[in-house]
Amino acid sequence: MASSNTFTFTRRQVFKTSVAFGGAIAAAPLLSACGAGSTASKSSGVVAKAAVQAVLPTYKPSNAVTADIPGVPGANGAASDPAFLTYPASPPASVTGAVGSGGSYQAVSPLWGSVPPAGNSYYTALNQALGATLTDNPADGTTYATMLATRFASGNIPDWLAVPGWNVSSIQNFAEGVDKFFKDLTPYLAGDKILDYPNLAAIPTGGWQAGVWNGKLYGIPLWTSAAAVQGALFYRADIFKAAGIDPSTVTSADQLKAVGKQVNAPSKGQYAFEDLTKYLYQVFNIPQNNGNTGWTRDSTGKLVNGYEVPEFLELLNFENSLAKGGLIHPDALAGDSSKAKNRFWAGKTVITGDGTGAWNKSDAQSGVAASPNYERQAFKVFAFDGGKATMPLYPGAGMSSYLSKSLSDAKVKELLRIADYLAAPFGSAEYLIARYGKVGVDYTMTAGAPILTDEGNKVVTDVFDQLANCQAVTFNAGYNQMTKDYAAWQADMVQHATKPMFYSMNVSEPAQTAKASTALEAVITDVRMGRKGVSDYQSALSTWQNNGGNQLRTFYEGIAKQYGTGN
Amino acid sequence: MASITTQEATAEPAPRRRRFGRPRRQGPPAPPRPRLSFRIRLRRDKSLLLMTVPALLLLLLFNYLPMAGIIVAFEHYDIYQGLIHSNFVGLDEFRQLVANPDFWHAFENTLVISFVQLILYFPVPIALALMVNTVLSTKVRGFIQAVVYLPHFFSYVLVITIFQEFLGGAGVLNVFLNKHGISSWNIMTDPGTFKYLVTAQAVWKEAGWGLIVFLAALAAIDQSLYEAAAVDGAGRWRRMRHITMPGLRGIVILMLVLRLGNALSVGFEQMLIQRQAVGAGAADVLDTYSYIYGIGGGFGSSTTMGADYSYGAAAGLFKAVLSLILILGANRLAHAFGEDGLYRK
Repeated sequence: MASSNTFTFTRRQVFKTSVAFGGAIAAAPLLSACGAGSTASKSSGVVAKAAVQAVLPTYKPSNAVTADIPGVPGANGAASDPAFLTYPASPPASVTGAVGSGGSYQAVSPLWGSVPPAGNSYYTALNQALGATLTDNPADGTTYATMLATRFASGNIPDWLAVPGWNVSSIQNFAEGVDKFFKDLTPYLAGDKILDYPNLAAIPTGGWQAGVWNGKLYGIPLWTSAAAVQGALFYRADIFKAAGIDPSTVTSADQLKAVGKQVNAPSKGQYAFEDLTKYLYQVFNIPQNNGNTGWTRDSTGKLVNGYEVPEFLELLNFENSLAKGGLIHPDALAGDSSKAKNRFWAGKTVITGDGTGAWNKSDAQSGVAASPNYERQAFKVFAFDGGKATMPLYPGAGMSSYLSKSLSDAKVKELLRIADYLAAPFGSAEYLIARYGKVGVDYTMTAGAPILTDEGNKVVTDVFDQLANCQAVTFNAGYNQMTKDYAAWQADMVQHATKPMFYSMNVSEPAQTAKASTALEAVITDVRMGRKGVSDYQSALSTWQNNGGNQLRTFYEGIAKQYGTGN
Repeated sequence: MASITTQEATAEPAPRRRRFGRPRRQGPPAPPRPRLSFRIRLRRDKSLLLMTVPALLLLLLFNYLPMAGIIVAFEHYDIYQGLIHSNFVGLDEFRQLVANPDFWHAFENTLVISFVQLILYFPVPIALALMVNTVLSTKVRGFIQAVVYLPHFFSYVLVITIFQEFLGGAGVLNVFLNKHGISSWNIMTDPGTFKYLVTAQAVWKEAGWGLIVFLAALAAIDQSLYEAAAVDGAGRWRRMRHITMPGLRGIVILMLVLRLGNALSVGFEQMLIQRQAVGAGAADVLDTYSYIYGIGGGFGSSTTMGADYSYGAAAGLFKAVLSLILILGANRLAHAFGEDGLYRK
């Protein structure tokens, strides 16, 4: 947040692009056939839709400020994020009365960047406003999953803990851990009870749904958006312009490849594509859910995985042909995804896949530093065959934060009031303190936008807003054209939104099926990079089916029968 | 008795001269010393023993105590149940392991890469040591040593980046080739030649460091042997063959024993970093297999789909047991050659 001002998935999206694919398979040791053991009953974390509805809080939108570009409703409950071009000149207050009552709390949240010094001006300003001592000990975002797994194994849980959605799969049987370590917030927030905390009530319901485990409400949603999707296919608009290419002609996979060939110039060190990985799932209509292949029913009503649909072969053929055709940058083929952004900035690649959060102010600044004319734009959503395009939605909240089970009733209420403060809507007075610190010290209002000072750049970073925050909005101070372009792209994209099967159901899959998927993904990478052929994939697929895929199918068939499919 | 002792004392240097390089273990056995009782030895060595206590404690705490974790391989480990209460499944994880062709593939890769490294990497530091040893100027020698040591201090991340920058598809070499219309050479992404690539990286990074121990062994060879041989008319090659080589024999065999014991550890980071570049088929070795399938989930890799601690532990234990057998076997072999091996028999 210190440098980027798009309040969607910003910095962590960089990481997410690689990690969200890591797998939504939570690691629950499956009770095997010999399961007469003493192991406690394992849960898949799921309950029926009606039971989820019963614990969800009432949604009461905030009317503190009006967006310059209001959210546009789309298909299947999707909506684009509201966008702002300036920060309100006289920010209204959204919290009344005292927030904290002098309590002292420890929190842990992920941070991608250097940890600011303790007791700095930003922390002090916020704690003063809160009337409590909230100490956040940020942990490195790239290794956050390791830290979480260790905490879960040892039972050392802080008062307030942020858990990114894409880390859930690396914690063995998360659904069981939630029950064991986290406070059930249902008695505090379900239904109209949330109206005691108006800013929390203004978070859309989709976000809260992501925090429901075992039929109880545990998680406070973060970065809630009704337009949360895997990402987009981006292109360098300046290079397209110079080559005289009209991006609106790209409405099928063949056309994508054709424009790729036009901009591919290896002798200049410019390649058409980055490794597009799973960003092509959307294009090829592969059933997916939260970053991995998902499930759908075939014409006979049988559950089939995204790996098994015929379109997956089309996808592999396409990716394979890009690699073999020399259209992908060699370093991307060598698996170096960490420098993908740098290659795009420098014009070494022209077309890339990334999270939507990559489209922001700080990206533009980094890009212009590498190539003066840098401009990022995204292709409008299209389907590989030029037919009807679909865009599968992600759960409403990319992350959730949880309170420790050991907290007393009074402390939970104090922390919820603090959460309410941190979730103050964009445009309010509290938002400025929560995200920018002390005016004059950490930031100044310049041309209708809060701009961090030198001091602010050192100390203000994504710390407290990784514990609770308001609905995602788009705002890029000083880059209003970008905000408008992004809002327009989102407004079009949400019209294609679909809800995947088992959408936002928080399913913990049996751990022993993970091996099969890991092995299959390795073969997919080989085919995508052009090292193996599509026929190799087909034999690997039958191995996958026998070693875990069919077991997963039965597992999901059971979920569908018992709890429904979430749609 | 007294005469024998005298004779021994005078005869001692003789076998050293005749049987070059094997001075320590040869010759008639020393007269048996009276064996002291345990208690007397304890009293005599107590200060020495006391000094080993901290090291022993560390060994116990960090090497032996954690071994209790091996039990994970025999149960369906559940972090909420802990080591004691998780479901005990006996050898089930091992059954799954040996039934999995991917595991055997990783095993095969390990052996192949290890063998290639043994043939292509192991002799390099010896050859380097012999060459450096012939340089007489201490300044030049110091400079050469410093230059070849340096890569040892680089991490593999850096080493691979350097290789990528030079030999990668967008690296110096291929940009040059492309500019001149010659087709590019994809050594960094070719699964078929990956074993040679990793060996080349290992040589570049570690050969200079491996040099140290052989240089030390060379320095320990008695210079008078060379002088005497030269006086007797032995040329450069004969001196090398009859003085230098036998002088190095002991250390070469010791290094070989250690190397065999480590035969199944062929460079974890190296494989993990380049796994995406050449694919799991070429880059999965036992260490990475155990990591990727055991705990790999969510570590920034798009190729792992979740953690299965027990399975990973089983793969790791399998490797550890094989390594132990290998090192004991190699040690026996060393003893059979009449060398010290890991300890003096």
